[in-house]
Amino acid sequence: MSHLRKRITTACGWLLADHFILVLTVVFFLVMWRIYPSMGGARNLANISSNMWPLLTLVIGQMFVLLVGGIDLSQTSIMAVTSVTGSMIMTLRLDPARFQDNPLWGVVLSESGGLLAGHVLAVPTAVILMLTIGACIGLINGLAVARLRMPPFMVTLVTMSFFSGFAIYLTRSENIMHLPESFIVIGRGGLGPVPYAMMIAFLTAVAAWTILNRMVLGRWIYAVGINRKTAVVSGVPCAGVIVAAYVFSGLCATSAAILYSARLEAGRPTLGQHLLLDVIGAAVIGGISLFGGKGKVRWAVYGVAFFVVLDNSLNKMPLNFYAVDIIKGAVILMAAVLDVLRNLLSQRSPARAGA
Amino acid sequence: MSGSGKKHTIVLAALRNTPLILFVLLFVCFGILTPDFFRYQSIENAVKQASYIGIVATGMAFVLLTGGIDLSVGSNMYLSTVAAGLCIQRFGLPGWAAFTVCIGVGIVFAATNALIITRLRVIPFIATLATMVAGRGLGRMLLQSRAISYPEAITSIGSARLWGVPYPIVLFAAILAAAWIMLHRTQWGRQIYAVGYNMEAARKAGINTVRISATAYVLCGAFASLGGFVSVAQLGNVNTGFGRGSEFDAIAAAVLGGISLFGGIGSIFPGVLLGAVMIQLVSTGLVSARVDLYLHSMISATIIFAAVAIDSRRTILLEKLQQRRIQIE
Amino acid sequence: MILSGELIHFGNITKEFFGIRALAGITLSMPSGQIVGLVGENGAGKSTLMNVLGGVFAPDAGSMIWQGRPYSPEGPADATREGIAFIHQELNLFGNLSIADNLFIDGFPRVRRLGVLKRGTANRLARQRLEAVALECPVNTPVENLTPGEQQLVEIARALGRNARLIILDEPTSSLTQNERERLFGLMNELRKGGCTLVFISHNLDEVLRMSDRIVVMRDGCVVSTGEKREYTVERMITDMVGRQINNLYPEKTSRASEEVLLRVEGLSRSGTVDDVSFVLHRGEILGLFGLMGSGRTELARILFGLDSFSAGNLEAIGRPLGGHKPAKSISRGLAFVTENRRDEGLLMEGTIESNVALAALRRRAFSRWSVWIRGGAIRERTLRTAGELRLHAADLRRQPARNLSGGNQQKAVIAKWLLTEPKILILDEPTRGIDIGAKYEIYTIMNNLAAEGAGILFISSELEELAATCDRILVMSNGRIHGEFSRGAFDEKAILEAAFEGLRIGGTKR
Repeated sequence: MSHLRKRITTACGWLLADHFILVLTVVFFLVMWRIYPSMGGARNLANISSNMWPLLTLVIGQMFVLLVGGIDLSQTSIMAVTSVTGSMIMTLRLDPARFQDNPLWGVVLSESGGLLAGHVLAVPTAVILMLTIGACIGLINGLAVARLRMPPFMVTLVTMSFFSGFAIYLTRSENIMHLPESFIVIGRGGLGPVPYAMMIAFLTAVAAWTILNRMVLGRWIYAVGINRKTAVVSGVPCAGVIVAAYVFSGLCATSAAILYSARLEAGRPTLGQHLLLDVIGAAVIGGISLFGGKGKVRWAVYGVAFFVVLDNSLNKMPLNFYAVDIIKGAVILMAAVLDVLRNLLSQRSPARAGA
Repeated sequence: MSGSGKKHTIVLAALRNTPLILFVLLFVCFGILTPDFFRYQSIENAVKQASYIGIVATGMAFVLLTGGIDLSVGSNMYLSTVAAGLCIQRFGLPGWAAFTVCIGVGIVFAATNALIITRLRVIPFIATLATMVAGRGLGRMLLQSRAISYPEAITSIGSARLWGVPYPIVLFAAILAAAWIMLHRTQWGRQIYAVGYNMEAARKAGINTVRISATAYVLCGAFASLGGFVSVAQLGNVNTGFGRGSEFDAIAAAVLGGISLFGGIGSIFPGVLLGAVMIQLVSTGLVSARVDLYLHSMISATIIFAAVAIDSRRTILLEKLQQRRIQIE
Repeated sequence: MILSGELIHFGNITKEFFGIRALAGITLSMPSGQIVGLVGENGAGKSTLMNVLGGVFAPDAGSMIWQGRPYSPEGPADATREGIAFIHQELNLFGNLSIADNLFIDGFPRVRRLGVLKRGTANRLARQRLEAVALECPVNTPVENLTPGEQQLVEIARALGRNARLIILDEPTSSLTQNERERLFGLMNELRKGGCTLVFISHNLDEVLRMSDRIVVMRDGCVVSTGEKREYTVERMITDMVGRQINNLYPEKTSRASEEVLLRVEGLSRSGTVDDVSFVLHRGEILGLFGLMGSGRTELARILFGLDSFSAGNLEAIGRPLGGHKPAKSISRGLAFVTENRRDEGLLMEGTIESNVALAALRRRAFSRWSVWIRGGAIRERTLRTAGELRLHAADLRRQPARNLSGGNQQKAVIAKWLLTEPKILILDEPTRGIDIGAKYEIYTIMNNLAAEGAGILFISSELEELAATCDRILVMSNGRIHGEFSRGAFDEKAILEAAFEGLRIGGTKR
């Protein structure tokens, strides 16, 4: 009998420690389902799903930066810039009344659309351009942090400000619509029952997992995040690793931009403005440390699931439109407090000895 | 002193006073670009508009010095001024009572932060992130998407003067002076630096780290609401976007002024003063130079980037120079 | 039996952590006005006992009597108030504040009512305190600008300011220069005359024997023996500590230097640090590098390994020139560097032991495909093997974080890391600092074996005795220059020390 108890305690300890947020999310979902039966409906689940994928992509990118002890506040403006520039290549039609004052009118943009409007290679070119821009901004961030030794918070705050302003400047605050069908399908369509968005997010997660667990680069990333000095002495190319992390974050932000732009069927200079909180909140709630060196891909997944389910359930409740934010803040707090408790408990329990 | 020793000292002095040098450089640059710039009026305007952020940044400096961070100041500003504004509208409170309400709400908001961080042991980043969201939500719920305008009685303060100096600037100066005294001439202030440097050592030394952290956050909130009030007094009304992003402005101002994000390093004067005014200066300068509005944030960002880059360089160089050198004869 | 004149009495103190007995019924007393030397291996319970005394931990069982009254502190503040001061190895000072601020951080002289500091009074009192510990320094100097020895004096000054009757000194001499050590010992004698009791914890048994009036030896959470100084010799202390007879502190030397040159250094210079350094390191040789603190040894090591650049001179490793290099290149050439502070630069404290051990060798073909894909199995197996060879004992190499290891095991983990890179030239900077007798012996054995297998070892140390016992040659460095070279068989202690002091101006090199 006590043998069984021991196994249950160990299982509970294991569950609680590593998969805590997942458990929390599932419990929360079940409770909400009881109260609002529509939560379990196919349409709602599809809704939850489609919100998860872009956010997951962002959080995985952010995780790489957090792991090396930094932070990337500029992800949202990378989304804005890439969304806008990609659209400018692809768009099929532009309203002169709105875009006449645009600096690029007549040069890149015209009434019949963007640079490669209607061209068969428009979409692939746009996507490649977007990824390149995302990577370049990541490169700037990474070099500033690694070589110029600037604090990541300030660097990415400044690049966020700069590129957000740049996106607005390029479009003079206008959305760029009329994107080609072959692009929009990324947001809506899929291979059979599997949406393209899910595939992209899944591939990103797999790539991240592979890097972190199977590649030398992954071990280097953790080392740099835990103790940069030790990593330097041990021959780790720290500057390169840090730059790689920021570039990856930029690429992830771009992927998210592709997914969102496709879904919204427009390139928006304000894309993702309110997402920063969700991204960092999901990462931290999932258990990824803000101080570096601690984090796993599945924690990112759990954190995102938590946030998406939370958002989804808040919409169901007959709440005052503004109370939603209050509840959201309170729930984030609760999850953080539970996490603190969990850490305290796991330090005390003998099941975690090895300490 | 040998020749190289003297050079050493000059370089060190230059590095230690980088914020000041940067500030002067910026000032001169903008002055050259726009002849209006050097007029007393425009300088005074710049400082006046920078006052509210300077006040908020001073509060933020307390928190940063203890090694924490407060992302909720923007929401605090919003909630406090909304609450005060509503009191004026609904209950017809006079100016001073509204002011008290404003600061009171700011203190309660901040006390909540303090509680969550010190008692519930949630890291400051998450705790203030959560209160930022909740606070703004609460404010918007109270306001129901309207805008509140403040009456003449208060907005007149925004443009009134005390002995020829605009009130906002007077308040900013007073806050700076008070903060400096608190940090450099009281035990509390010295303990703030100690806690920021090494919280464990502080606890072992018998410092009540809970009290120190808590008071830092409460002061930050009080100053945030004060800054909000000063800003509204100049703007005349509060709308849903008020204060959004102010936390970043305040952090940028503090960091530009030399406060380290890791805690324990930096000073209020001239640091925060220069930081806050520098940011505003850039903004005002761009307007005077009639730069395309859409380019403002980009140019602003570039200048701040350059300033922080120079500052980082300086920190590295300072470390190298101050390292013990083995005398070689 | 509690006798009068006793300052502190421990009655059957027991303390357990996670089921491991740290203290097993300690009964001990210490009189006032004496220096008590507390020795024992790492894990013997010395620190735990002192932490109980200092109020950091509460004992699970047992009681303490302080100055004749029952004493059970609820926290360090209680202990401080009673007059117990604990000067830790990692000092509890605030580098960003001045000396005066540090001294009074929890109790400044203040103007009533306003709470504003009385700067003048504070500075005056601070100067008095510094005089008591014979430290000459302006009281507004930021503490981070002081040397470790000076910082230690500030901590002691702070303790004295709180009317400390009992001062615990935990490994106080490991970062001090010779002068600073003597100054500290002088101060200790002064304090003892004044009626203070000092608990002196150190791995340097000669110093303990020299300074203490009473000796207490601990092992496995118990007091193994205690008595007056005259009842002890260093051998007896070691025997009591380890529980068996140890004939030698050092293993038999089986390695011998060959003619083949592994490392050639010519005229190496870096401004302000190292000047015109030249020497060679042979295959199979253990080359000692002796010098006082601040003589430039660590700086030289950093330059050799590529962490810092050099402005003049030549460097040749295994026949090929080396210059403008980074650690990665050094490693691929066969160099390895065990730094002097394993916590800061040697280990990933939060990382697992395995991840630490594999860190420097990840790119090798044995551990990764094309230097990209990790060979987990190979790493695991090799880590296990190396840990076994080094007698690195840990419950779970794969999951246990490095911070849970004892000092000796941590150092072994660092050495294991470098062994995986199959180094030909191994630079060790103070590898036995802060490590107990047993572990030190094991590390000397490891060095001997490596040299016997054909590696060249550069052994940097401030302890002449260990260099004399293990090295083939000893270089002496002072002020960034090499001032002497001595061969085995001609290790003249006096001459070596003279060489170490050479080049220093009379009156010291105060910054």
